[in-house]
Amino acid sequence: MAPVDVLNQISDVIWEIPVSYKEGMRVPARIYGTEKLIRELDDAVYDQITNVATLPGITKYALCMPDGHFGYGFPIGGVAAMDVDQGGVISPGGIGFDINCGMRLVTTNLDYKEVKPHIKRLVDKLYERVPAGVGSAGFVKLSRNEFRKVAEQGAQWCIHNGYGWEEDLELTEEQGCLKGADASKISEKAIDRGAHQIGTLGSGNHYLEIQVAKRENIFDKNLAKAMGITRPDQVVVMFHCGSRGFGHQVATDYLQSFLKVMESKYGIKILDRELACAPFHSPEGQAYFSAMQCGINMSFANRQVILHRIREVFSQVFERSPEDLGMHMVYDVAHNTAKLETHVVDGQERSLLVHRKGATRAFGPGMSDLPYRYQEIGQPVIIGGSMETGSYLLTGVSTGDQTFFSTAHGSGRTMSRTKARKTWQGQQLQKEMQQKGIYVRSTSHAGLAEEAGGAYKDVDEVIEVAELAGISQRVVKLTPIGNVKG
Amino acid sequence: MLGRTPLTVLTGPLGSGKTTLLRHILAVVPRKLAILMNEFGEIAIDTKILQGKNVEMADLGGGCVCCSLLGEFEAAVDEIIATVKPDHLVVETTGVAEPDALVFDIQESLPQVRLDGVITVIDADGMVKYPQVGHTSRIQIESADILLLNKVDLVSEQELVTITDKLHTINEIASIISTVRCQIDPDLLFGIGRDRLQSSPHHHHQPEFESFSHTSQAVYDRARFTEFADSLNSDVYRAKGFVQFPEGTHLFNFVAGRWDLEPFEPSSTELVFIGKQITQQKPEICDRLQSCEQK
Repeated sequence: MAPVDVLNQISDVIWEIPVSYKEGMRVPARIYGTEKLIRELDDAVYDQITNVATLPGITKYALCMPDGHFGYGFPIGGVAAMDVDQGGVISPGGIGFDINCGMRLVTTNLDYKEVKPHIKRLVDKLYERVPAGVGSAGFVKLSRNEFRKVAEQGAQWCIHNGYGWEEDLELTEEQGCLKGADASKISEKAIDRGAHQIGTLGSGNHYLEIQVAKRENIFDKNLAKAMGITRPDQVVVMFHCGSRGFGHQVATDYLQSFLKVMESKYGIKILDRELACAPFHSPEGQAYFSAMQCGINMSFANRQVILHRIREVFSQVFERSPEDLGMHMVYDVAHNTAKLETHVVDGQERSLLVHRKGATRAFGPGMSDLPYRYQEIGQPVIIGGSMETGSYLLTGVSTGDQTFFSTAHGSGRTMSRTKARKTWQGQQLQKEMQQKGIYVRSTSHAGLAEEAGGAYKDVDEVIEVAELAGISQRVVKLTPIGNVKG
Repeated sequence: MLGRTPLTVLTGPLGSGKTTLLRHILAVVPRKLAILMNEFGEIAIDTKILQGKNVEMADLGGGCVCCSLLGEFEAAVDEIIATVKPDHLVVETTGVAEPDALVFDIQESLPQVRLDGVITVIDADGMVKYPQVGHTSRIQIESADILLLNKVDLVSEQELVTITDKLHTINEIASIISTVRCQIDPDLLFGIGRDRLQSSPHHHHQPEFESFSHTSQAVYDRARFTEFADSLNSDVYRAKGFVQFPEGTHLFNFVAGRWDLEPFEPSSTELVFIGKQITQQKPEICDRLQSCEQK
C-alpha cells in the first residue's frame, strides 16, 4: 500500500512529496495521477522518486509521469532535469538500458475495409522481415567500422544507404542524429552486440502494430489532419523499439565506470547503487554522454530500417509503391533519453540535462527542434498502450513547462512480468485477441502473456491525467488490428 | 536412466563478483559445466566460438563450455543439453536482470532440467556504501536460496551484522555465506549432477563449514523421510544424495530449507549434510534417519 498520507495534493492530478520526507532530498517529488492511480502505485516508486530528488543538480522537482512504475534506479516514468552549471549529474539509471527506446508512427491512405482481407498476410510478412525475439539479428550485416558510422550518423546513415526517404529525417526527433555521438567512447563488446541488430524489434514490450484511427476516436479533427490522419477508419502503423543489446551494453559499461569514481573522485553519495552517476562536466560524464548519443543514433537507425521494411511489405502485399500508398511518417519520438536543453526556470534561462526514462518529450507550439509542419500545433507524442487496449497520438502543449515538456510514454505496468506470466497463458491470449479482431504473431508465448492488457494500467486514464494536468493534449486514439510482438 | 540436468541460477548486482565466482567454480568443480550467459563475459574471451542455432559456445577445456544466448532461453537450454550433455548447467543473469521471471520459466517450461538453486552474489562493501537496496537488487535477494556475501574483508564486524540482518529481513530463508573473492566450497553451492556423488579431493571446505555423510542399505518410508526433510533446521545449508524408497531410489536435493526428490537410478542410501558446526548434530540426524527405515 502506497504511503498516500505523505502527499500534498497540488491539483486533481498532481501530488507532491515534500523534501521533509527523506534526508538529502534537494527538491520535492511530484507524481502525476488520479487518486486511484496514486493509490495503486507500488511503494518502490515513492522510494525511487524521492531517491532521485537527492541527486546533485536536480532542478525544481523529481517528476513521475502518470504511467509511472518501478524500474532500475529511477522509476519508469521518471523525469529529472539536472542543472549542468550547478554540478548536475548524468545517470544511466535515469535514461534506461534501452537507450532512446521510442515510438514511430506511419500513415497509409488505406482504410480498414481495404486492409482487413490482407491482415494475416501483412502481419506474417512483417514478422518475417522485421526479426523479433531476444537475440534476433537483422538482415543488415555491418562491419565494426561501418557500425561505428551508424552510431555517429544515426538515421542519416540509413537514408544515404537507401533505407528510407529524405523527408523521414525531418519528421524524426533531432532529425535522427545527435552530433555529439563519439564512437571512440563505446566498447568493442557493445559494438559486437549491436552490429547485427539494425532493423530488429527485440523482445519484451517491443512491438509493431497495424492500427485503425476510428472516426469516433478522433478528439481533434484539425490536429489529426495536420498529422496526416485525414480519412475515416484510416490505417496506420506504429512500432516501438530501441537500441537493443547495444544500448544495454553502453549503459552497463558506464554504470560500472561511474560506480568506481562517483564517491572516491567526486564525493557523490547516493542512497541506491542503481542511481550510479557522474557530474555531467566530468571526463566520465562526458564520455557516457557521447556513448549514450551513439545509442540514440543506433536506435534511430534501427527504427529507420524497420520503417523501410514496413514500406516494402505493404508495397508487396498491395502491389503499389509506398509513395502511392501514402506511407509518410507522422513522427519518431523517444522516451529513454537525457538531452541538454534550455528551459526557463523561475524566470531564468538555464542549461538542463533532462533525463526522461519512460517519459516522452512533448514540446509545445513554437519550440525549437520542431519540424516546420508542427511549429504551430506542437510536437506529436506517440503513446503505446498495451496490445489489447489501443494507443494514442497526442500533441505537446505550452503549459508543459511544468514537466520540462515531458509526458507519459505508455500505459505503465501494474504487475511484474513474472506475475503476468502466472496470470495469463500466451496461447489462450492469442486466441482471445484473434476473436477481438487482432491478429498477433509472437516469438514467445510466455512473452505474450507478459504483455496482456490486464498487466497494464488503463491507458485512457493515464492519457486523461496527462491532458488534465496540461502536459499534453489528445488527438487520436488508435485501435490495433494486427500485431507483431517482440 | 539419467535424471534431469541440474541448473543453478547465478545472479547479483553489477560488480558483486559473479564472474569471479564462475572462474573459481570452473577451477575447482570436477564436473562438466555449461555456463549460459546473456552474452559472453570475460570468461569466454579469446576462445574459439562455435556457432549454434540458439547459442554460441566457447570451449573452456575439460569439457566445460561457455554459452551465449542468441535465441529464446528454452531453445538454448535444449540445444546445450543435446550438444554438450553437461553434468550441470549454470545460468548467469546480467547484473541488472530480475531473476524471478527466469526461475518461473525454468520451473514451468523446462521439464528436462531441475532447478538446483538460486545463488545471489551480494557485495558487502556495496551494502554499506549504498544504504538503500535497489529494486532490482531486492528481487535478486528475494529470489535467492544462497546469498553469497562477498568482499566481507572490506567491512567491519559490526557492519557485517547489520548487513546480515538486512538481508534476512528481505529473504528469511536463504543461507547467507560470507566470502572473500568468492572463495567458497562448491559443495555448498551445488547438489548432485547427472553423474554420481563425486568426492572432490582437491579442495577444502570453508573453515566454518563441516560436513558428514550417512549411508544405509535399508529402504526408507517416504512419509517419515518427508517429515524429516521438512524439519531440518537452518544450520543445514545443503544436503544431497540418494534415498531408497519402496518405489525406487530418489535423488534428494536440499538447499536452504527448500528440497525435492526425483526418481534416479538404483543406489543404496547415501546422504551428505553440510552446515555450520553440523558434526555436533550428526548423532541426532543419523538417529532420525534411522527411524525413517522401513521395519
